Order: sequence, then C-alpha cells, then structure tokens
Amino acid sequence: MIEILSASALATVQDLGRTGALQWGVGTSGAMDPLALAGGNILLGNDEGAAAIEVPVFPFQVRFTEDCSFAVTGADCAARLDDMPLLPWWAHEAHAGQVLHLGLPRQGHWRASRAYLCVAGGLDVPAVLGSRSTQLRGAFGGHEGRALRQGDRLPVAGGCAVGGRRGTGHGLVPPALSMPLQVDGVPAVRVLPAAEYTLFTDASLAAFWSEPWKITAQSDRYGYRLSGARLEPKADIEMRSHGIVPGVIQVPSGGQPIVQMRDAQPTGGYPKLGTVIDADLWRLGQAPIGSHVRFIEATWDEAVTAQDHASRWLDEARRLVELQRS
Amino acid sequence: MTADTPSFSVLGTSALLFEAPGSTELKTQQRIWALAAEVGAWPEVREAVPGMNNLMLSLAHTPRHLGDIEARLRSAWADIHALPLQGRLVELPVVYGGAAGPHMADVVGHTGLTVDEIVERHSSPLYPVYALGSHPGYCYLGGMDPRIATPRRRVPVLSIPGGAVSIGGSQTGVSASDGPSGWNTIGSTAMCFFDPKRHPPALLQPGDTIRFLVEKVIR
Amino acid sequence: MHAHELEQLAAWLAGTDIGWLELRGPNECVRLRNDGVRVDAVPDDPPSSLDAASAAMQPVVATAMSVGVFLHRHPLQDAPLVRPGARVRAGQALGLLRIGALLLPVTAPKDATVAGTLVAHGETVGFGTPLVELQPIAEGG
Repeated sequence: MIEILSASALATVQDLGRTGALQWGVGTSGAMDPLALAGGNILLGNDEGAAAIEVPVFPFQVRFTEDCSFAVTGADCAARLDDMPLLPWWAHEAHAGQVLHLGLPRQGHWRASRAYLCVAGGLDVPAVLGSRSTQLRGAFGGHEGRALRQGDRLPVAGGCAVGGRRGTGHGLVPPALSMPLQVDGVPAVRVLPAAEYTLFTDASLAAFWSEPWKITAQSDRYGYRLSGARLEPKADIEMRSHGIVPGVIQVPSGGQPIVQMRDAQPTGGYPKLGTVIDADLWRLGQAPIGSHVRFIEATWDEAVTAQDHASRWLDEARRLVELQRS
Repeated sequence: MTADTPSFSVLGTSALLFEAPGSTELKTQQRIWALAAEVGAWPEVREAVPGMNNLMLSLAHTPRHLGDIEARLRSAWADIHALPLQGRLVELPVVYGGAAGPHMADVVGHTGLTVDEIVERHSSPLYPVYALGSHPGYCYLGGMDPRIATPRRRVPVLSIPGGAVSIGGSQTGVSASDGPSGWNTIGSTAMCFFDPKRHPPALLQPGDTIRFLVEKVIR
Repeated sequence: MHAHELEQLAAWLAGTDIGWLELRGPNECVRLRNDGVRVDAVPDDPPSSLDAASAAMQPVVATAMSVGVFLHRHPLQDAPLVRPGARVRAGQALGLLRIGALLLPVTAPKDATVAGTLVAHGETVGFGTPLVELQPIAEGG
C-alpha cells in the first residue's frame, strides 16, 4: 500500500488515458506528461500504461507500508526517501515504513511542474471503462473518482514487488533533455492548423505564431488559458458542437486562446485555430503556470515524424532498461 | 466548407473532423449516424463520435498520408443512406425558473417573451437525441424552438449542478453532473444520465427522444 | 611473460576500448592501463612488502562497467554526486555512466574517501576505464 500523508495536493491517479468512451461523453483524462508516466513504468519493468500518481502541487509525501520498488519521473522535485536524497528518473527501493518526500520542482535544466510516482506492478485501483485514470467530472475512476486526500491508501498490484539485484539502481535521461524544443529560448510546441484557422485575421495569425504566450493562473488539467495578443476572426463565427481532443486551441469571444488539456470536455463549440500535436502535449503539460510557450506551425508530415521520434524514445528506453534488468 | 460540400479537417494527429453542409437537421444527423457505423469499423479508426451534424474520427493510429482517408470518407458520405434510429421516449419533469433557473431573466431579456411563453415553447417539442458529448451522459438535442434561442453567456458560470436545463444559442440540453457552463440555465430536472457500472454506461443514446414536462413554474 | 609478448599484448590492447587489463598467474601479475593515447604497464607491488591490512588500504579505483559517457552529476542537476574529500559508503554512487538513454551508477567498491575523479564530465570511456580514485577507510574508522 501507499499511504498519502499530504493534505490538499491535487494529486490524482492517472494512466495513459481512457479511450473508446467518447460516444458517451467521457473524455480521455490520463497523464499530462505521458512520456514521464511511461518512462517511470519502463524503469520498473511495468506495462507502460500502469497506473501512477500524478503530483502537480508540492510538497507531497507518501509512506510505503510494504517493501516497494518505485520511480519518480517528470519534474526533478528533490525527492528524498526518509533523509536520503534520491536521483530523479531512477528505479529505487523502499522498505516498509519509509516516507517519500517530494519538494518544489527545481527550475534549472528543465522548467517542469508535474511529477509521477510509479510503483512496481502499478497502482491496483479498479479499472473503469477500461482505464484507471481519474475522471473528475464524472467522479469515477482512479481512486474513488477524486483527487487524493491525506489518509488515502492505494493498493499496489503484485504487492509492491521489490526489484531484486538488477530491478533497481538504473535511470533514464529525461526526454526534455534529449529532445529539446525551443524558439528564441522559449519552450515550444508544434501546432497543426484546425478548421477555423483561415477565418482569423492575418494579424491574429501572425501574432499567434510569433509571440510568446503566457500560461495564466487559470490553467489546469481541463485547459490552459493563455494571455497575449487578442486573436480575432474576420467575422463572427457560428459553431455547432463537435468532437475535440486534448491540444485543441479554442478562441472564445474574449480573443484569448484556451488549449484544451487532458480533462477537457470531449466536445466543443468555440472556433479552433489549431491543435497542439499529440507528440508535444507532454511539453505543454509540464510548462509551469506563469511560464511562456511558443507555437511552431507544423505540416502533417512533420507531426507524423514527431510522433515517430517519441515512439523511438520509448522503444530505446524499453530496450536498454530490459537489457539492464535481465 | 462550401454550401453543399462537407468539410474535412484535422484535430492534430489524433483525430479527423468531418462536417456535413447545410443547416442542422435530423435527416442529416441520421446520415451521420450511418456514417459513424460504417467508418467506426475502419482499422485506423478507434472510435467514430457523432456531433451536431458532424463526425469526429478518433484515430487508433496516425495515417502517413491524409489524402486516402479523406477520399474514402467523402465517398462513404456520398453513398450513405440515413439510419433512422428509433429509440425510447423519455419524459423529464422540470421545475422552471426561480433558484432552479438562475438565467431565466436573461432569456426573457433576449427574447422579449414572458416566462410562461418561454416555458411553453421549451416544453412543447419532442427533442431527438442527436449525440452524446460534453461530459459523461450529456445529450445534445435537436428540435428547440428558435424563438427562445439565447446566445451563450460571455462569462461562463463556474459550476451549474447536474440536472440543470439550459439554452445555449439555438440548442438546449440537461447537465448530467456538476460543472462549468456557458449556457443559460432555465430549470432543473432529476434524472440519472450516467452510471459507469452499467453497460452501456449512458442511460440515453442517439435515436432516443426527450420531452420536458412542466412540473412547476416559479416566476 | 616475455617482453615481446608484453609488447604484443600492449599493441593489441591499444586498438581496443578496454581501459584496464589484468592477467594473474601463479608467479606474476601483469597490469596494463590504456588511456586511449598509450598503454602503460602498471608495476606490481611486491607482495612480500605488504601485509593484508595495509594492502586493504591501498588506493582503489571505481572503473567503467561498459562503454559510455561518464557524468559527474545527473543531467537535470548542477551539483556533482560527490566531491573530493567526501566520505562514501560501499555501493554509493560516485558518478553516472550514460549508455544511450540509460543511466547506470558508478559505485564505490568499499567504504572510502573520494580522492579525485580521473575523467572529465561528459567524456566517453571504455570498459574498465578508471573513473574515480578512492582512499579506503579503515574498518572501525
């Protein structure tokens, strides 16, 4: 078991998301940084989509009630096991009774905002509609369909297997360092234009691509509200409700864009300027409130290539870790 | 999208959006249901999700080249026949106005109608369920009287309760759970729209019909 | 081993990625160090001049367990894992070896004080390359 010691940390149980339920109005949810969640699972020999805890607010503390192998990926949050500092993106062993403490994310080599606590075997919460991700709006999935509270106890599948001699003691270079993406020193994500792209003024489109956009404090798992130039359509746009996905950039009448994130509604009725490509959503999911982001216009081919790169990172990580663990 | 050809666009690399031309109609929606049934079986499509006279294809894997799937989609649409789903009639008793309808005054202000006229026009039609979306169990309905259409609010409300009956533009709907909304809430009903333990988990589906019954009007 | 055999061995070693080669026989021990530029024979310590206790106190080196890139610090961090003079326990990580995306710890073979690092941060090393020099700590000390 993992016992939550922190109060009000907004932490939730997530996996790689819930698919196949859009027809009932159920969005995908899932980790804001899926590469970090998959990376932590790879380090422990888990299925990539094993359930973990997503931690967006720090400090955060848990106690292991049994011996357990675990990894903390995503932001480097000065993790300590009791008093011992831990390497980030590393497979560690905990003994029963030890306390894991995650501090404020360091903002040095990579400005990141979310950490993932993965455990060997994954968290053993019930799967609902095929996924262990928390569906906050519908109040189901994850742990009781809500954010974690002090005193919650989460079971670990396979009873917290300890890795053994070669099951722990290795790590991965975070993809933010091996696959950086920036424009003029500002973290960037690639965007494919969406259906209403050509309905915006030339000045708006120029501003969209050339300016840094600030991630305001009204940003969370549902959506990132950005502030910057006012984006305007050439004329009023009447929209019908239609399916959307995480990454869709909507522009409501106020002229400030909102990027739909993992807990966004699966449908929308606002004009869409573009969509952040799936392969770059993890970058945005890690961008801290108050930081800036730039948008890079991508072609379909470039977006497909970006996806290939992300897949290759996962494949190489899996191959090297499996060799090490065997 | 021109007046009579459908529009095809991408939602990043994870989904495609197909929009039928013309005004929003049940007949067109029946063709969308048929298209969803056909396209949902394609190997690259994880799920075909109807919207209001449109269809989103959630992709299982990203095609290298878009031209092929776009051509197949347009061809399928050209040949598709309407799928006239006939489901159940579900009647929902509604308390209109008062605390249950905090934005009734805004609908009155926009339309120039009285509360009773608004309630009468809202509770008369049969509303076909076009699609589910927005949040678990939520139904997009067609058939609202255009005389009570009221634009979405400039500033969305942070949380309206499950059961809230609202008008957004020319559409109406019932919230299935507490959450934010930019629509104008005119009443409240008690109904469970979603249970994750059931199969299927949504209590209503495309092809069903809703009628609102006037339980009470608070002026 | 004859001198020409030693030369042949050294010449062969120079063409490999192997940083350290040690051959033990009943009467002799041959040690060759390859730093990528030249191969040197490392002289034997005459066994009769040492007793077991002081043999255990000879400086030791932590070596690379594979070809890779030697790192003093984690790529996300600024501070090195250890500094000269630091006391470390057996098994404690002194540095990291990066092999593609994988990171492995370079660990202290015994309780010791860090004498110094022998390879710069970011250098590519071969199997057996000495990386960190350590001064063992006497037991009970």
